[in-house]
Amino acid sequence: MTTFKSLVTATASSLVLGAAPALAGPVMDDIKAKDSLICLVSPTAPGFSVPDSQGVFQGFNADFCRMAAAAILGDASKADIRGVGFSDSMKTIVAGEAHMGSRSITRTGTRDADEGLAFVATTFFDGQGFMVPRSLGVASAAELDGASVCAEDGSTTLLNIADWFGAKGMSYRVENIADKTARLEAFFSGKCDVYASDVTALSADRQLSDTPGDFVILPEVISNEPLTLVARPDQAFEAALFWSFQVMLNADSLGISSANIDEIMSQLDQKTPAVQRMFGADSATTDMAAKLGLPADWAYQVVKQVGSYGEVFDRHLGADTPFGLVRATTPNAHAADGGLMYPFPIR
Amino acid sequence: MIPAAPPPPQRRDLLRQWAGTPLTALVSAVSAALAIWAIWIVLDWAVLSASPPQRPMHACAETAGACWRFYVEKSRFMLFGTYPYQDHWRPGLASMLLLALSGVVGLRITGRLDRITPRVLVALWIATIPAAFLLMGGGWAGLDRVDMSRWNGLPVLLILSVIAIALAFPLGVTLAVLRHQDRWPVLRRAAVVYIETMRGVPMVTVLFVGVFVLPLTLPPGTRISPVMATLVALILFHASYFAEDVRGGLQSLPEAQTEAAKALGLTWSQTMGLVLLPQALSRSLPALVNSVIGAYKDTSLVVVLGIHDLTSTARMAFSEPGWGQYALEAYAFVGIWFLLSCAFLSWIGRELHKGQSARSH
Repeated sequence: MTTFKSLVTATASSLVLGAAPALAGPVMDDIKAKDSLICLVSPTAPGFSVPDSQGVFQGFNADFCRMAAAAILGDASKADIRGVGFSDSMKTIVAGEAHMGSRSITRTGTRDADEGLAFVATTFFDGQGFMVPRSLGVASAAELDGASVCAEDGSTTLLNIADWFGAKGMSYRVENIADKTARLEAFFSGKCDVYASDVTALSADRQLSDTPGDFVILPEVISNEPLTLVARPDQAFEAALFWSFQVMLNADSLGISSANIDEIMSQLDQKTPAVQRMFGADSATTDMAAKLGLPADWAYQVVKQVGSYGEVFDRHLGADTPFGLVRATTPNAHAADGGLMYPFPIR
Repeated sequence: MIPAAPPPPQRRDLLRQWAGTPLTALVSAVSAALAIWAIWIVLDWAVLSASPPQRPMHACAETAGACWRFYVEKSRFMLFGTYPYQDHWRPGLASMLLLALSGVVGLRITGRLDRITPRVLVALWIATIPAAFLLMGGGWAGLDRVDMSRWNGLPVLLILSVIAIALAFPLGVTLAVLRHQDRWPVLRRAAVVYIETMRGVPMVTVLFVGVFVLPLTLPPGTRISPVMATLVALILFHASYFAEDVRGGLQSLPEAQTEAAKALGLTWSQTMGLVLLPQALSRSLPALVNSVIGAYKDTSLVVVLGIHDLTSTARMAFSEPGWGQYALEAYAFVGIWFLLSCAFLSWIGRELHKGQSARSH
């Protein structure tokens, strides 16, 4: 923990001095010195982070690593994306051997209270749900009294089930199968009535069945899982991450994507003030760039190289992917559409 | 006088063996039917209803058999995982070095390649192990540094099996000698406690201790990567099994060997090194080969620690969205690998057995 404390003191002293042109903290400096941003993802999470045939991680979470590299280093390919297991990735970040993590970590109170880790921006709102065979004829989780549930041993999934069934006074039986493939196989072959996991994972896992149409995901969502980016504490770095994410959300609401950004840049003077504030030569984002120590065109680079939030969502999880998630029906819809993705003002 | 050679076995004997009585005939017929059925299924899957490699990926969706295009697309990933693509020659070369050296050792044990002395073999090991790590890790002579979290697939499997076994062997021999001798009772007791503890604990426990407890014992500020921690744990674990194999060899030697060595005026270390150990090692070879096969296959357990060996990269290969239906192809790849490598190991075992029975006649 000494490294963490020295980090904090260093960050604090750089704040107190304040005279420096940029707010750059030690993590930011380290990223620039290495010219590479070490970002940890889950090694196998279909749709979120999974290596392609070249061994390069692709997916929703991996793209937020690229977002950070595009904003800070001007090049999304400078993200050194590494697949590391959950507990190891926490330790690695605290020990200072990685700069950030983008791996579906639920932001909880006790985790946030731990030192050495800073939660930055929630990129995905998930929740735990249930999947049942269509043949069971169940329309609501309230009808699951006495069901046998397949769930992962030792996960928060089981705790949430216990809470939920307990509160409703319903009985259930858990089939503990540690291996995910075996657990799914048990569910598909009818050894348990209910399969419990995060809703997004359920729709991904359903695709692994030979007959995905035979299974339905029940409407109840029994827990809140705000999946959040974590960073090594450093005010400038956290601000860069948070506002890069906001750029992606703002681009989403302004209808700007990686496909049309160049066209918009070519006629920027005819665009609305909000667009000019994001991408103009002397704008809110260039002001932020000077203070945070980012390249002047960081907002453009994020949108150009990674895309808007909606673009990233649709690319990896949307209707054209095996997951077939319709963003408007999830909590990740834009605030204007009744979702939780609320773009903060960039000015 | 040279005894007359026995007549060659007649074909009728073969027939009698296979179908001498109604029962053997039935067993033979059933097993032949089963074998033909199994071969037919494999042939049908791999060739007859398979989609050949030159056909595009989307053609695989309609075929019931193997999708050979999957191997074109994913073989390199299954072998080397997330190691930087343009640098795949490095894990490739490291794997080949380790495989070649293991092959040479195997052939040497069965009495082939006599020109390579044990001294040369030891020197080769001492050179190859650091060479494999340097090649994989980089950071010298213009090679990019590659973090151990990117060491996946075949090279990790080989590091954790071949290198673990190679380093566990000398430790195991030392432990066996310590347990066998009675000059230093304290060391003898220590060896007994160590061996019995390690053998009394499941391998998964040892692995977890290696990855989660070992780092705590290091001075603050130093970190050990999961691959290295696992390697250390595996070396310590396998050594106890090798020690028992070698001790079996040592105990099988007649007491007269020690007495004769003493009578010749050999010191304790000369007795051990020149008289007892060479005989004990050759006697314990079949048991050692057996332990090596077990140790090799157990390596896949490291998946529980988040280390991505061949089995794990094969799983990752079909976890990519849209590739989920090719699990069978991926597992077949791993299966063939283990089938071939274990076949080599058990061939060594059979050769040793042949050599031994020839010697005892």
